[in-house]
Amino acid sequence: MTAMEIDTEKNIQRKHSTYQSLDKTFDIQNEIYRGQQYSQIYFARLHTMRTLLYSLVTHWKPQVPVCTVLGLEEGKECIIVGTLYKHMQLKPCVLDEYSKERSAVPLVKPHNFMHPDDHLVLEDESGRVKLGGTVLSPSTYVTGGVVALHGKETTAGDFLVLDVFEAGLAPQILPQLKSREDKYVVFVSGVSVGSSTSNPLQLQLLVDHITGHLGDEQEQGIAAEIVHVVLAGNSVEIPLGLLNGQNLASKDQSRVSEAVQVLDILLTQIAAGVSVDIMPGSNDPANFALPQQPLNRCLFPGSRTFNTFNSCTNPHCFELDGVRFLGTSGQNIDDLKKYSEARDELEFMERTLKWRHLAPTAPNTLGCYPFTDRDPFMIESCPHVYFVGNQDKYGTRILEGSKGQMVRLISIPKFCNTGLAVVLNLRNLECHTLSFGAQLSTLKTFCDA
Amino acid sequence: MATASSNLKGFYRQKKKESGIRKPKSTKSDKSSLLHAATLGSDFTHPSAVVSHGSPDLKDDYDKHEDVLRQFDMNSAYGPCLGMSRLARWERAQRLGLNPPKEIEGLLKGEKVRSECLWDGCI
Repeated sequence: MTAMEIDTEKNIQRKHSTYQSLDKTFDIQNEIYRGQQYSQIYFARLHTMRTLLYSLVTHWKPQVPVCTVLGLEEGKECIIVGTLYKHMQLKPCVLDEYSKERSAVPLVKPHNFMHPDDHLVLEDESGRVKLGGTVLSPSTYVTGGVVALHGKETTAGDFLVLDVFEAGLAPQILPQLKSREDKYVVFVSGVSVGSSTSNPLQLQLLVDHITGHLGDEQEQGIAAEIVHVVLAGNSVEIPLGLLNGQNLASKDQSRVSEAVQVLDILLTQIAAGVSVDIMPGSNDPANFALPQQPLNRCLFPGSRTFNTFNSCTNPHCFELDGVRFLGTSGQNIDDLKKYSEARDELEFMERTLKWRHLAPTAPNTLGCYPFTDRDPFMIESCPHVYFVGNQDKYGTRILEGSKGQMVRLISIPKFCNTGLAVVLNLRNLECHTLSFGAQLSTLKTFCDA
Repeated sequence: MATASSNLKGFYRQKKKESGIRKPKSTKSDKSSLLHAATLGSDFTHPSAVVSHGSPDLKDDYDKHEDVLRQFDMNSAYGPCLGMSRLARWERAQRLGLNPPKEIEGLLKGEKVRSECLWDGCI
């Protein structure tokens, strides 16, 4: 690439930060499928969480004995630990597939499957017991979470829940406090190149702002403080009508690859100036089941030549200047939205952190690789920044843990619908949005705090 | 379906692998009443002897090492056994702090034993 010529005398240097990828646990390259079922991953999850919860409940209610589901005695108060299962009558059943014709359009339209008659069941290796009482609200919980419950068995054979204990936020390593300057990380998701809603001009404005091709010296100075860019999923949208199993005509072939080529051009522009992570999302050409593997580098012949270009897994975990980031392209929260309810996306995110599991509904209703020896979605170390992409609206707040943990929660909206990118300051973990609009009459770009 | 019927025998594997539990075949032999595992109390690692006539086949294709390993497979404390090798399951149990018996590791790493669980190939 030829060096860019700048009109002004001085060269504005971009700030630098140390980046470390922590995605190794989400890599499935070394996994071998030997016909295992999902019982293996559930066993690994239950066992790890139960060991942890057993150590924590001794401080919660030291007087109450702990027992297994099979060891329950009627009327005796005790604590049981197990995996929650929510019985939902509206949950789509696999047998529905046989009653409808197969088509590219999903059989089940995403909406919420909750019903007032849903009830919770607690299960461990020894057995399962129906949960009763008013303390545990089925609308808050989903299948797959592991909790400790204090209560007693009733004459009807149910377990009357008196109190519930969740693991809470994982231990957090405090970032080393050096005298930090303002350094920004830009998050964008749902760019959807190739979709009818995506506006190429809006996208180019975003890229130009990041690379410093926009605005006067002052604005370029602000852009020079951007040290990292994350594309959190759904970066392309390939027209679904083309992917129906038929052979593609040559004109259609170019339509399929066009979107990715345009994305590569944009990524090349970004990667030339700043390190960029691209995560796969539900619409991207990556595998379906979580953890989604990195988008193949052959899709990006231009940008892959830069060492600033990183194709990452979904979920994605990395460290920037000692600040730990953890995030997904949205599938985990979208699935929670279908099977439970909360005030907003941030509350769903808070629950996943408190349950110490990124995607508790996997593998029940969220596609997931059948790991045998571990559950990689468990959150062992609490991140400092937790982000989720492809949401309907922007939201952010600080979540505080009982042991002094502090997490910045970020809900990243879809760029193709909102024109919003999110900017995080590494110095104080404060967030603001960048809003890009492109109308034929006026071209604007402005920042909101 | 009609065209495939001539190939059905080749399509479906007729014989299961020799190792593993064998289902009891004939049930009406007086001589063999003592040897049906189902009536003898559950000794699940010893498949029932197949007796229709002649001498019972007591020495199957396994030995006491295999017996110990099958006990390990069936122990639910270490989680499900299907779909993973015995050594991988032992290592997982070790990593989760379940303290699986050390001798199992020795058997799996040293001697000539089946690396897969007892249900492998049968289910």
